[in-house]
Amino acid sequence: MFLTRSEYDRGVNTFSPEGRLFQVEYAIEAIKLGSTAVGIQTSEGVVLAVEKRVTSPLLVSSSIEKIMEIDRHLGCAMSGLTPDSRTLIDHARTQSQNHEFTYNEKIKVESVAQAVCDLALRFGEGADGEESTMSRPFGVALLIAGIDEKGPQLFHTDPSGTYVQYDAKAIGSGSEGAQTELQEEYHKSLTLQSAETLSLKVLKQVMEEKLNNTNVELAAVTPEHGFKIYSEADLQTVIERL
Amino acid sequence: MSSEIDEYNGGSVLAMLGKNCVAIASDKRFGMKLMTLGTEFPKIFQATDKIYIAMAGLATDIQTLSELIRYKINMYKLREEREIEPTTLAYMVASTLYERRFSPYYVSPLIAGLDKNNKPYICNMDLIGCVTTTNDFVVGGAADDCLLGTCEALYEPDLEPEDLFETISQSLISAVDRNAASGWGAVVHVLTPERVITRTLKTRQD
Amino acid sequence: MSFYPYTDNGGSALAIAGEDYCLLASDTRQSGEDYKIHAGYVPKAFKLTDSCVYAGVGFSADGVALVKRVRQSIEWYRHAHEKTMSTPALAQMIATVLYSKRFFPYYVGTILGGLDENGRGVVYSFDPVGSFEAELHKAVGSGAELIQPFLDNQVNLKFLPEVERTPLPLDVALQIAKDAFTSAAERDTKTGDYLEIFIIDREGVNVERFDLKRD
Repeated sequence: MFLTRSEYDRGVNTFSPEGRLFQVEYAIEAIKLGSTAVGIQTSEGVVLAVEKRVTSPLLVSSSIEKIMEIDRHLGCAMSGLTPDSRTLIDHARTQSQNHEFTYNEKIKVESVAQAVCDLALRFGEGADGEESTMSRPFGVALLIAGIDEKGPQLFHTDPSGTYVQYDAKAIGSGSEGAQTELQEEYHKSLTLQSAETLSLKVLKQVMEEKLNNTNVELAAVTPEHGFKIYSEADLQTVIERL
Repeated sequence: MSSEIDEYNGGSVLAMLGKNCVAIASDKRFGMKLMTLGTEFPKIFQATDKIYIAMAGLATDIQTLSELIRYKINMYKLREEREIEPTTLAYMVASTLYERRFSPYYVSPLIAGLDKNNKPYICNMDLIGCVTTTNDFVVGGAADDCLLGTCEALYEPDLEPEDLFETISQSLISAVDRNAASGWGAVVHVLTPERVITRTLKTRQD
Repeated sequence: MSFYPYTDNGGSALAIAGEDYCLLASDTRQSGEDYKIHAGYVPKAFKLTDSCVYAGVGFSADGVALVKRVRQSIEWYRHAHEKTMSTPALAQMIATVLYSKRFFPYYVGTILGGLDENGRGVVYSFDPVGSFEAELHKAVGSGAELIQPFLDNQVNLKFLPEVERTPLPLDVALQIAKDAFTSAAERDTKTGDYLEIFIIDREGVNVERFDLKRD
């Protein structure tokens, strides 16, 4: 793919004669450079885990945020160009709030994924009159976890504006290995606790550094507590189960 | 009416015809616009042993007019040496009101009574004395529309005194509970040839 | 004479929530100014979903325009979220629609009657600018003052403290609605001609029509 660079690489909204949008494909590639993120759905809730690349001992690891809250019942993990995710998550948060304001009910997880993907495609030159906020595709993939009337769900969105539902999904640099591991270990009757351990176990295998309570981030969405990011202490107890 | 002044003090009145009996009722509120000042304000006055007159509207006019009517009833009794009849009283009140055609008393009077043959009679009139006699019920005051609704739906003809009491009470309570200018309890009189049954009702206190 | 964008077309509507049903009734008279009656059969109640019916009284044109807009929103919602809007969601949505025209309002008194997500009867009533409340029974429109105290009296027997309260059966609720409208038609010149009663239950929405006074 990278060998066939051509003039079609430049226009973000220009198809190549083979019918490809190179910039979108490159954006998807950008995610593969990002840190690994894992999401596992169980009947008790959804777990999200990400690797944090603490590149310097002087870096304050808590300042790296790769899991964010969208709403009380929705969380999100990311991989790729994390700054790009700000725009997407901001949009998701706005849509979720707007839905609750208008309908006095919680937005569905799928609807949030759809909302994110609507924005993901809004790059390049805006069509007549329409303002576009981004000149290139967003170089980030999201794992959107949440609970609605259909129960706990996990969605994956990518720069092409595609969203797909998963039982378990890994994204980022270690995603290939992680996904294989998830496929082997995942089963429908997984408890939330075993999903916590599985997510860290999978991360541990694909991480270069030794996993500890400062270089990973863990969060869950449960019917009881909604979206919660685990404290270092809570994280430690999960690590000790490994 | 429904201008400003007629609902300044609030209050509602109601009368119903039964079988050989009549009932007349009012709430007990006295207020100034939204503020309640009194909860024992009489709006029903005894004209004779068998006739009661109720008035809703501007409190000062109710008091003045009720005194004036009492004076005129007494004068009638002295001159005629007999009790006034309900219809006579009605037209006496009406002409009193019409005398002030261009600076009226702001009241909605109702008259309920039994005539010399114990035939029940009710009527109401507007503030300048246009009398309406009906054969079911008459209403007046701040909750007049509410009363009209409840009476129209709950009333049935030829009720015995106890049933008439229940009907007029339910109609009044339901109506004044939906009217902020009326309430704080109510008084009901049921007039029968034998006696007058007077009862007070409890309604919501706000 | 300057142009005034609103007319009062009168008319009344009421709704009663039962345990597992809801009933919404409205007359079909369309009145004009100066005691005019424009038409005898212009419905002001409309089915919105399989579990919700709307009625709008006041300025008829605004009532109809509001339904159109609400129905479109329901359709958009269905496409976006792959489900029918619930009655409580509809209530909140209508409130935001009404408030969005805070300074040039839809001149309508709105009530919604339907079932909530648990299949229980619910009634919502709105003012023209979106203030709303969930209730068990409510009357709106030109005959509201006449009907409301009657409903208070009959629906939950509020003024008979010694009676045991049992859920209101549908046939009783229907009779109350009919009585309320015959009474209102008697005393309110803007209410009359025909009565339409929508019955909303788990099976869906059914309409019944009755005659009212036509004078």
